[in-house]
Amino acid sequence: MRLAICLVIVFLCFICSAAKKVKDEDFSEFDDFDQDEFVVETPSTTSATLSSSKTQGSKPDAVETEKVIQADSNKGKQKEKEDDEEEEVSVIDEDDDSMFDDEEFEASDSFASATSATPDLKIAEVPANLTGNRWEAYQCEAVMIIALLAYLINFLIGRAKNARLATTVYHAQRDLLDRNFALVGDDGQTRNTETDDQVNQMQKESDHLYILWCSGRVSIESMLIELRLVKRQCAFNSLAAIIKSINDTLVYTIDFNKDDMETFVFCLAKKRSAVKLHRDMVDLSQFCAERKSADKKGFPGNYQVLSEIGEASSHITNDQKLAEFLTKYPDAIEYIHISDQYSGMKIQSDQQTSSNAATNTGTAAQQQDALNTSERSLRRVLIVAFNLTPQDGRSLQITSESLPGDYLRFVLQLIDRVAAFRFGSKELKNKATKNRQRIEEQFLKSVNLQRQEQAQLRREEKRRAEKEKVMQSDDAELQRKWEEKEHKREMKRRQPKMKQMKVKSM
Amino acid sequence: MEARRQPARIHRFRPALITQTDDALPEYMNLIGMICSMCALMLKIKWCAWIALFAAIVGFANARATEDTKQVLSSLMLSISAVVITYMQNPTPMTIPFFQ
Repeated sequence: MRLAICLVIVFLCFICSAAKKVKDEDFSEFDDFDQDEFVVETPSTTSATLSSSKTQGSKPDAVETEKVIQADSNKGKQKEKEDDEEEEVSVIDEDDDSMFDDEEFEASDSFASATSATPDLKIAEVPANLTGNRWEAYQCEAVMIIALLAYLINFLIGRAKNARLATTVYHAQRDLLDRNFALVGDDGQTRNTETDDQVNQMQKESDHLYILWCSGRVSIESMLIELRLVKRQCAFNSLAAIIKSINDTLVYTIDFNKDDMETFVFCLAKKRSAVKLHRDMVDLSQFCAERKSADKKGFPGNYQVLSEIGEASSHITNDQKLAEFLTKYPDAIEYIHISDQYSGMKIQSDQQTSSNAATNTGTAAQQQDALNTSERSLRRVLIVAFNLTPQDGRSLQITSESLPGDYLRFVLQLIDRVAAFRFGSKELKNKATKNRQRIEEQFLKSVNLQRQEQAQLRREEKRRAEKEKVMQSDDAELQRKWEEKEHKREMKRRQPKMKQMKVKSM
Repeated sequence: MEARRQPARIHRFRPALITQTDDALPEYMNLIGMICSMCALMLKIKWCAWIALFAAIVGFANARATEDTKQVLSSLMLSISAVVITYMQNPTPMTIPFFQ
């Protein structure tokens, strides 16, 4: 109701304004009419206008005669005007109606009105690109194109720089790798690993990730070298790296065989990485209760230790060569992660188990496969991550010619140390075994719970499908039977499960 | 040192062993590129078309090597077509609504 009243009021206002506008427009030509027209018109001008207007309107034959007649009448008028100006005005006023037609004074009227009233001219706005130099109007587009070109140039430069770094790192380590590994560089797709062609560079996974696979060495199964570079090909990532002070990283991931490595979990990391690893890594969060500072060991820099078995941790940290390396390169090691229960990060491992469990639909064979894959994929690994930063004021390119060789030597020495370690006493071995059993039970419980939930869901769906089928069949007998069955099932579920005790008769 | 080499212990590379990183930037850029291209084509908004082009190029720069190049290229082509068609429909220079 109120809305209707408001609309009516608005409509009335609109009509009033429109009407006023029309009224104003209708009478606009008479606004300045009385003020100027009669004062400005002198006898000479009036005669001129009259004669001109007359000549416009009349035929050429009658022009002269009319002029004469007009001249006479004007002369008469001039005499009268000399006497009295007011009468002049009045005479002209009287004569206006009779003598002057509208057509004759069309031009003078319009001229008078044009000069008296301010014209309301509307100048159409011509788009900027159609006036003058057209291309100058496209300023925003020019800025966009320049930005795009700058990004593309940065992409090419960044990509080339990353490729150069990868090549340098590879060549710095090539000889040492050849001496230690039977297979250096494998993409997993070639049929024969024993080829005459040597791999000349690291395998390019993307513009910021280069890998190298090495295998065929005593005491380990394989070693994967990952060169994780800053995304120099993307301008935004480069800026973010500068702001967050992210640098290039060289990561060695070594896989041990079951017999090559003792069962323990250990991590030595810089504080910032220790926090992240303790939070995100499954094995570190399960087996290592707390983070301890490594200042007691005398390591320069801010290192922390995550330890499961103290003896194993001491064996690693009390190494003379580790201390020497850390003294020589204080910030080189980002983290050392040693684990026989490695399964990746928490989010990824959750995704794996959920995807495995979610395959519990379909045929029995598929279900059997799902049961088999619900085991955790555990690896025995040694992961060492190094920071590749410019040293001693030199550029990164020059530094990466010498550093990777030292890093590799350290890693190989650490591999031998880890492979050589065995628990001193049986108690420690039992403790480690107990820890693992506990974690395994927890995992199996969670998987069991998931399977039960899925079985329940499947049963519900099956029942729903049956119900729909029965309802749609239009067979009263069938419906009644099904309802009876459902009723019995409900009663059975509601009844508490009682154990039957058989009493033997004496 | 040479004794450490053991050809008998050679294992082939498996791509699954590469450490997974949680980098979703290429997917986000792809999505933004697609949405902005559609907006630009249907609503005739020029700055949307330019943003789509930027997003497609950033997605291309950050794409992994294993990613399908057809996906990345199709996003790029769509954004270029959005820019071209928007200007063909309305050749006047672009005006950024926030500054004018």
